[in-house]
Amino acid sequence: MNQVVNALFISRKDIESYYSKPPLITWGILFPAVLMLAIYVKDPATYLNVAPGIIAMTLLFGNTSMAAIVVTFEKRSGTLQRLLLTPVTHRTIVLGKAASAAAYGIATSLVITTGLALLLGMRVVNPLVFSTGLLLGGGVFSLLGLIASVMVREVFEAMTLMNFLRFPLLFISGVFMPLEALPAWVKPVAMVSPLTYVVELVRFGISGQSYFSSPWICALAAAGFLALSWSVADLAFQRRANR
Amino acid sequence: MCPTIGEEVGGRRTDRTDRVVEVRGLCKRYGETRALETVGFTVRAGEVFGYLGPNGAGKTTTINILCGLLERDAGEVMICGLDITRDPVAVKQRIGVVPEESNLYPELTCRRNLEYLGELYGLSRAVRRKRAGDLLETFNLTDRGTAPFLALSRGMKRRLTVAAALIHAPELVFLDEPTAGLDVPSARALRGLIQSINRDGATVFLTTHNLAEAEALCDRVFILVKGHGVTEGTAAEIRRRVEKTRTLMLILSGDVAKGSLREACPAIHSASLVDGTWRLEVTDPHAAVAQIVFFAEKYGVRVLEIRTATASLEDAFMEILKDNVAGPKGTV
Repeated sequence: MNQVVNALFISRKDIESYYSKPPLITWGILFPAVLMLAIYVKDPATYLNVAPGIIAMTLLFGNTSMAAIVVTFEKRSGTLQRLLLTPVTHRTIVLGKAASAAAYGIATSLVITTGLALLLGMRVVNPLVFSTGLLLGGGVFSLLGLIASVMVREVFEAMTLMNFLRFPLLFISGVFMPLEALPAWVKPVAMVSPLTYVVELVRFGISGQSYFSSPWICALAAAGFLALSWSVADLAFQRRANR
Repeated sequence: MCPTIGEEVGGRRTDRTDRVVEVRGLCKRYGETRALETVGFTVRAGEVFGYLGPNGAGKTTTINILCGLLERDAGEVMICGLDITRDPVAVKQRIGVVPEESNLYPELTCRRNLEYLGELYGLSRAVRRKRAGDLLETFNLTDRGTAPFLALSRGMKRRLTVAAALIHAPELVFLDEPTAGLDVPSARALRGLIQSINRDGATVFLTTHNLAEAEALCDRVFILVKGHGVTEGTAAEIRRRVEKTRTLMLILSGDVAKGSLREACPAIHSASLVDGTWRLEVTDPHAAVAQIVFFAEKYGVRVLEIRTATASLEDAFMEILKDNVAGPKGTV
């Protein structure tokens, strides 16, 4: 229990130090908002096909970038070492860091969602599935950012590593076109991408429709990716956090 | 070859009840490089223990292992009766660490830095607020409480880093080069605070390059060279161990020739005159004094001052380095 409370203290400190800063908030919101606007202006009738992908992409980029930047920065400045000297476990640190990054990504995604609802009339027909998608996606993507951060020394290295993962994921995960429309050879590859399931959960939350027969298949798959990411992040932190 | 855990290598047997740190047969390698080789020592409750050595001797590696930041390859490490590997959280709850680099959160204020660390040590809100206020006052930083850490001067950053290590009133405090890079007044003030921490009951484990500082602060010192422990004891014991000759400082009322002084006093090994003061290296001070007095009477000069000049810990340290410079091949 004490370690969970400590994870909350770590999250709160990170939100206070990094995530509540106006430049970071605008960075997280501006890019997806402009992209969404461009897609809407091009074809107002079909923007809803792309909106779930843009929301999930906001989550992916916000979480992976921030988690990787914050931890790499703290490694460089020595403050991660300071944290490792306190009576908290590696798991507590992973939980605290991932939770604050996830909170940031979810908050920026919700801002985009709210903007779409208020300005373009988009509705969230199934808030439970929608929230499940954001929560599971937030967790998986934050943990991926943390894994990248302990593998490298510099922020730019973390970003380079993440880009090798993120851009292919955007292509294979039905972000800009529905899974049905993907080439046949991409569809099996899409099934091993966590982003696919997050996009489909968000899509179901917004439209009530999904490529999968039930949104809970997606939730189960995303939960599996969350468990896998957690295990890898935990191991990576134990082995490499102090390097 | 590194011994197995529990083997008695290099360790000293002392009364179990007063041991705060017990290290036996500690080994650490980085690839083919042996950073620590069967190092063993004991730190007793309430003492200031100096862990000395030249650059690359393995001091920071030792501290990192003792604090749970680094895994050892072999050996036994007990901190406050607990094994750091088996029970790292419980050990970290009882120790405070001041790393070589001041590493608090640059964007947080001084007070928030202390309170945040207090949160992680499980202090209640009221306790951590009071403790943070008390520490800011003790370390003369009360008026900087709302300033971010990055805005502090180097000396203030160092003081706050020491204060942060004390937020939970630890039993044992590790100080890694605490005064490195500080100006003379800041370093002197920090040394005073270290003595005060020790007077308040904390055991202090200190590494420093400043041997005068070690001599002034430490009850006992341990000297590490190339990953090997070479000697341990009080500063006076270590000085005595390496002293092969003693030095006498002599002032006479008139000029005398060096040759006649050495001829009349066989106990003098070497003599040099600097600013009217003779510096005499002697094997037997008692015999030398008697011969000098006899010599002065014979040549009609008066002995204005004669005193022994004790070797400093620095002299002893340099002597030890000379003896150990040709260490085993492959060490750091």
